[in-house]
Order: sequence, then C-alpha cells, then structure tokens
Amino acid sequence: MGSLATIRGLRKTYVMGDETVHALAGVDLDFDRGEYVAILGPSGSGKSTLMHILGFMDTPTEGSILFEGEEVAGLGADRRAWYRSHRVGFVFQSFNLLPRLSVLENVALPLLYREDYSESAREEAAKVALERVGMSHRLTHRPTQLSGGERQRVAIARAIVARPAIVFADEPTGNLDVRNVDRILELLGSLLAEGITVVLVTHDLSVAAKAKRVISMRSGQVQEDRRQ
Amino acid sequence: MRLLIRIRAAVVNGFRELQANKVRSLLSMSGIILGVASLVAMVTVVQGMVGNFRQFVDAMGGIEKITVEKQALPKEQEHLAELSEGLTMRDVEQIKATIPIVRYVSPEARVGFEKLVCEGREVYTMINGVTPDYLPVAKRWVDPTQGRFISDLDILHKTDVCVLGSSIANDLFPPNVDPLGKVIRVKGKRFTVIGLLNNIEAQGMEVRSAGGKGKGGGGMWRWRNSGVYIPISTATAKFNGNDRLSGLGLQVASGDDLNFAVEQVERTLLQTHNRLKDFSISTNEQTLEDFRKTETAFKLSLGGVAGISLFVGGIGIMNVMLASINERIREIGVRKAVGARGSDLFLQFLSEAAAISVLGGLIGLAVSMGIVWIMNYVLMQAVPTGVVAKFDWVIMLQGLSFSVVVGLVAGVYPAVRAANLDPIEALRHE
Repeated sequence: MGSLATIRGLRKTYVMGDETVHALAGVDLDFDRGEYVAILGPSGSGKSTLMHILGFMDTPTEGSILFEGEEVAGLGADRRAWYRSHRVGFVFQSFNLLPRLSVLENVALPLLYREDYSESAREEAAKVALERVGMSHRLTHRPTQLSGGERQRVAIARAIVARPAIVFADEPTGNLDVRNVDRILELLGSLLAEGITVVLVTHDLSVAAKAKRVISMRSGQVQEDRRQ
Repeated sequence: MRLLIRIRAAVVNGFRELQANKVRSLLSMSGIILGVASLVAMVTVVQGMVGNFRQFVDAMGGIEKITVEKQALPKEQEHLAELSEGLTMRDVEQIKATIPIVRYVSPEARVGFEKLVCEGREVYTMINGVTPDYLPVAKRWVDPTQGRFISDLDILHKTDVCVLGSSIANDLFPPNVDPLGKVIRVKGKRFTVIGLLNNIEAQGMEVRSAGGKGKGGGGMWRWRNSGVYIPISTATAKFNGNDRLSGLGLQVASGDDLNFAVEQVERTLLQTHNRLKDFSISTNEQTLEDFRKTETAFKLSLGGVAGISLFVGGIGIMNVMLASINERIREIGVRKAVGARGSDLFLQFLSEAAAISVLGGLIGLAVSMGIVWIMNYVLMQAVPTGVVAKFDWVIMLQGLSFSVVVGLVAGVYPAVRAANLDPIEALRHE
C-alpha cells in the first residue's frame, strides 16, 4: 500500500477577539494509500479543520505534513491550489454543484483549472468519471433536475475526475434519505480499489462504521485511532 | 500561450454569465450604453460642425483673404471727410505696386439689390461690379462649358455684359434654355449673359436643395450662388456715377504673411487716404479663431458629460459585479475547492465585467448612430444648412475602447475581492 501522508505535531490556532481557539492541539496521524478512514467527532472537535488542512484548503499554525514524500505544511495559495486540482477531491454534504452548469460541465470543472487537459480531454475524462458512478445517462441535465442521491453521485464523479490520491467526504450522506445512504457509502468504498484514500468526515457513528479505520477526535486532539 | 487559453476560457464564461442574467446584465450596461452613445454621437456632430465651418471659411475666400470695406469716419474726423475720396482704383494700383506679398486685389463696386428682368421673369439679386481678379480672391471659377468671366477688355470698354450665379440662372431661365447669349435688363439697361459661375456645394456632405430646385445649392451656400457680376467700370460709370469702391478683396500669397500684410495694407491706405481711417480691414482668421474657441468649449463640455456618464456606467458595472459576487460566494468556494487559483477567479470576474462593457459599448454605438441620424433629420428640418454629420470609424473605435477601459477598471475591485475570498468561508456561506 505505501504511505500517503504523515502528520506530526499539527496545530491550528485561531485568534477570535481576546480568545485563542486551539482547533487542532497537536495531532499525529499516518494515512496509507487506498485506506478507508472515518474521522468521527462532534462539531468543534477539530475534524473539519483537519480535513481542510489535509485537503490543502488551509495551512496549519505549526507542525509538519509529509504528503507523497513532500513537506507541504507551509505551501502558498497557488501551490495548494495545484494540489487541490491534481491530488485531492472533495464531496460535500450539500453537494455544491454549480446550478448553471450541466452535469458534464460540473464534473469537468476541476480540469478547467489544469493546463494539461484540452477541452475534449476534459469532456472525455468527465464522461469516464460519470460512467464510474453510474450517471452517464444524465450528461446534459442540470443539477436541479436530479434527485439528492443522483446529485451526490455526480459530486463523487467530480471528486475523482482528476484521479486524486485522496477524497474527502464531508458528511456525504447528511442530506440523503436512508435508501441512498448505503449506495453512496458503497460507492465511496469502491474507490479504494483504485488506490484512492477515502476520508469520511462525520459525526454519525453508523456512517463511520462503514470505514475500516475510525479516528475519533475531541477538543482538537485524536482520542482514539481504531481499525475495525 | 497558457495565459491566452485561460483568458479565452474566462471570456467565454463571461459571456455565458451575461446570457444567464439577461435583464441584470442589460441594466448594468445601461450606463455604458448611454455613455458611449452620447460620447460618439456628440463627437460626431461636433466634428461635422467643424468640417462644415472649415468649408464655410473656405467659401469666404479662405484664411489668406483680407477684406477692406469703407467705413464712416470717427466723429472727431468727420469735418475732414472731404480730404479723402474713399476707396478707389488708385488704392488698388497702390497696393499692387507696393505690397508684393498681396497676390491679387479684387475691387468691388456694389450697384445694389436690384430687379433683373428677362422674357417676363423677374428676380431680385445683388449686382456687383468686379474685375477678373474676383475669381482667384473668391476662389471661384467659370467652367469652360459655361462661358467666360469678365475680362480686362470688358473693364477697358465698359461693356454691358454679365456673369450670373448658378441659382440666379436657375431662377431666371427654364431648365431647357441656355442662358448664354441671352439679354437681361437691369434698371432699364440691357446686359448680355456671357458666363455662369461655378455652383458651390458643400463637399462630402449632403446638400439639401432649397425650394426644391435641383441645382443652385441650398441653405447657407445659396447666397454664394446668387448675385450678378458686371465689369467694375460699367458699374461705376453707368450706375453709381462715381469712382468709389464699396470694398476690396485681397489675397495674400500665404496665410503666414497675413498679419504683416494687414499692417502693410493699412499703412498704404492711410497714405492714399490722407491719414483718414475711412476703411476697415478684416480677415477670416478672427472668425476661424472664434470658431476654434467654440469648438474647444463644445468638446470640453460634451466630453465632460460623456465622461460623467461613462464614470456612472463604470460604477454601475462595479455595483452589479459586487452583487453578482455576493450571490455567487458559494460558487467561488466550490471553484477554489476544486483547484481554481485566485488568479483564475480574478480573470473570470474581470472577463465578466469586460464582456458587459464590450456588449454595452457595441449597443451604445448602435444607439449613437440612431441619435446622429435623428439629429441630422431634425437639423435639416429646422435649419436647412444642408450639412450633416458623418460617421467616423475612428471615433467609434475610440468610444468602444473607452467603454472597455471603463469596464476593466470597474471590474478590478470586484475581481480582486473574488480572488481573495477564503474558500472555507465561501463554502460555509449560505
């Protein structure tokens, strides 16, 4: 499998007025390639902050992150954008598809910000990703014409279209009915076969139970790191 | 090259956003539309007026012309009036002999506004006694197919011949009759028509024919095409009964010598007139200078108005862009989350502003064409000047580039705001 990311002494501190908030208070973690991990914790436990930093959306106040063998903790905004468009995918609770774009254009969106994809290559890759999630029959639809489960599948296609190393799913089933929850979690689990590390960020125990490893967080620290 | 591809994609996206928000886009464009329309329309009309006036000055004999006219003596010299015999042919000879930079001297002896009669038709017009030098000074000519002008021999023999302005010929003779050789009567005397002056038309502009006449020119050119010209000696001997001239037209070799020539002419005339200032000297330069001032004032004030509308247009664009960004904070967050850099979003929103201003500018140009068309129409109805403004693609291009610059400047601030949004905050935005 091999190591994907190694985190040591990660801290994130916000100053809000006179108060200093320690969102992350010293986190050490290792992630392997092709792992199915759930990060579990109540709101304010630091799980979102951890996802944002690991997903190159934010920078830590302190600590080191070795990602695919490179130190990435202190990267600038443009370099982090490069990682987001090449190595990371996000799936959100509220899908976050752009309403004005078609399903195909939504999925191709991450490739728009890469210079190594021509227009036809973007379209081709988006079609492959939609095929992968079983949505190739809806290419020209708008997101509003789809059901919640379908939208989340399109969102997953968007997350994997750039062949990332890691996909973060932030409460991916929060807006879905029971029938669709299992199908989406199954779909996310199936990405492991392609060597993608899947990180579920949730406060829902039953969702976390699907993962092979559960990291419980509380007050900005890892409380438990359990493989099941 | 990569940047070009990015810009292209951003521009395509910008026009798409416009299409998605048609009404809002049109509203945000309205300022730019008005700004460009007023700028281009006004500059075009002012330009038309300037061109019109240049031709007018030319028709008055151009910038090289000096006009000398008789003038009443100042009160304190009135008792000396008999010391001067006024403007006479002696002045003409003196100027010709002593001022070499004066190329032509054209004396005029006005007979007056008289009735012309020919085969039962009557026309009233100005009768002028002139010499052959009238043609170069007035910048006129007689087309070889239209006869000849008054010659030195006509002056010498005081012949009873006349040359007609083209509009007089039209009024006096039916279209199928050749005026040459016909005899007309003025104050009981008979004159043979020997030639027709060239018809003056405003070049490069439409000429509206007054009174429905095909030839003869219309409006402000009409007076230039009227009049009857007879030998100056005939005028003084047979009508006026004295040698006095009503005025002189002088042409200087070059407009640069104008002021020097005016000085020389004044000195010479004071000498021949026994130091009495019973004449006035004027040039077209003053008129041209006055007009230039008017032109500048027009350009400045109209430019100000157009500038303000473009400024307001820019604020309109900025306003709409800020509102649009506010509505699309989440979209910005999503785009950033999937890998867009700040510069990608900067380009995206700047392109939207540019798309609004380009489209607004183009619509503005179309509107300006309408405004100029209407103004021409109204001007024609109100004052048959016969002159209209013409479109100039340079002015239109300038108007368009102005609007693009305004759009880009107005788009910078919103685009910077979009580029600097924190993706995490943006994604949380409801």
